[in-house]
Amino acid sequence: MAAEQKATTEEVKMDLFEDDDEFEEFEINEDWVEKEEVKEVGQQWEDDWDDDDVNDDFSLQLRKELESDKK
Amino acid sequence: MAYVSMGEAHRRITEYLNRFCDAVSYQDSSMLCRLLSFSSNSPSLLSLADALNVFQDASSLIRQSDKFSEYGEILAHLFRSLQSYRVGNLVEAYLAFEKFANAFVQEFRNWESAWALEALYVVCYEIRILAEKADKELTSNGKSPEKLKAAGSLLMKVFGVLAGKGPKRVGALYVTCQLFKTYFKLGTVNLCRSVIRSIETARIFDFEEFPRRDKVTYMYYTGRLEVFNENFPAADTKLSYALQHCNPKRERNIRMILKYLIPVKLSLGIIPKDELLQKYNLHEYMNVVQALRKGDLRLLRHALQEHEDRFLRSGVYLVLEKLELQVYQRLMKKIYIIQKLSDPARAHQLKLEVIAKALRWLEIDMDLDEVECIMTILIYKNLVKGYLAHKSKVVVLSKQDPFPKLNGKPVGS
Repeated sequence: MAAEQKATTEEVKMDLFEDDDEFEEFEINEDWVEKEEVKEVGQQWEDDWDDDDVNDDFSLQLRKELESDKK
Repeated sequence: MAYVSMGEAHRRITEYLNRFCDAVSYQDSSMLCRLLSFSSNSPSLLSLADALNVFQDASSLIRQSDKFSEYGEILAHLFRSLQSYRVGNLVEAYLAFEKFANAFVQEFRNWESAWALEALYVVCYEIRILAEKADKELTSNGKSPEKLKAAGSLLMKVFGVLAGKGPKRVGALYVTCQLFKTYFKLGTVNLCRSVIRSIETARIFDFEEFPRRDKVTYMYYTGRLEVFNENFPAADTKLSYALQHCNPKRERNIRMILKYLIPVKLSLGIIPKDELLQKYNLHEYMNVVQALRKGDLRLLRHALQEHEDRFLRSGVYLVLEKLELQVYQRLMKKIYIIQKLSDPARAHQLKLEVIAKALRWLEIDMDLDEVECIMTILIYKNLVKGYLAHKSKVVVLSKQDPFPKLNGKPVGS
């Protein structure tokens, strides 16, 4: 019944009152061990990505473009 | 509805009343939770609801016994709500539930210990969910939805009951999170402010003492608020906290955190690795990241256009649009490096004409005045170090660190 209700209520499109990113409810007693896995998620960032490499496709094309009709 | 005899109905109702009163007198919070969880649609609650609709006069049953009548008001409203809920009359169900909740909160206030905190959580959750359902019913009947707003007022009252000193304080953050969900849905996020102030200025209670699940939810919502306020370093701190402490099994929640954290990090010059985007199915950010890496202004525009609806709805569009300046910086750096390959001695002179040409190639038509304007902004925002030689139409780059990194600080700070 719960599933059915969900399906029908979702069809009622309300222009007011929506938050697409409502945080999923944790269980009242939900607790967990903070695993390394999530800590790793926190490490999947780069702040030193700004290299001097100009051998990628984009840079090669840019170079061609800039050097095209130089006398 | 299956057939229920009067005798059977009477039995079910009495059983529920006994359970309720026992749960209260033995302070059995988890039993009380089960007895109040409407939205769980548990078979026992559904069969109770059927019994109530057959028996009709449950309040006389409550009145007949001293044991039951002690909680008569609470129970009578609860039964009425459940009856309406069962027959799909959600507005009526909400109204009765609100009365029940008020009576329950009154009782809770009188209990000295915090034993019933979890049951109170259930009441707070149920009233929000029921209000949402009631509002849907109202709008589909062409009436204006107003129950969620009313639920917000009630939650605020519950917050007041918990927020003082004492053992009940630990429940304040749960109610805060329910309030956040309510206000975000109603689009009245400014109402979050007073609750936040109360949580963050309380010296008598350390934030870390709240339950983990509430801390994570709280940081997610306050992080989103910081995104709206364009306070990116604070948004970074809060959303990163939520990410690090979230239950690893709750992938949807992790994805939601990242949805906001990624634009925040990007605006601070930090980019996510591709694995992260893939693992949490955040493909809408792939091209934005690529554009930033390459200095490809055209790709950035296309990426923003392609996912415009999505970015606008979540409110990160403006954050992403501002990445344009960083992409300009990256493009200038590429031009500079390319010049260095062929003419190292004069590489630090960027001719406006050359920049205009690169932009044209990226389908951005700008005359030299406009290019000059962009370069002035880049210099002003400290994304480019150097000066503009207006007459000779050249940007002369500083020999030292001409393209300063953001190092985790927002542009222009």
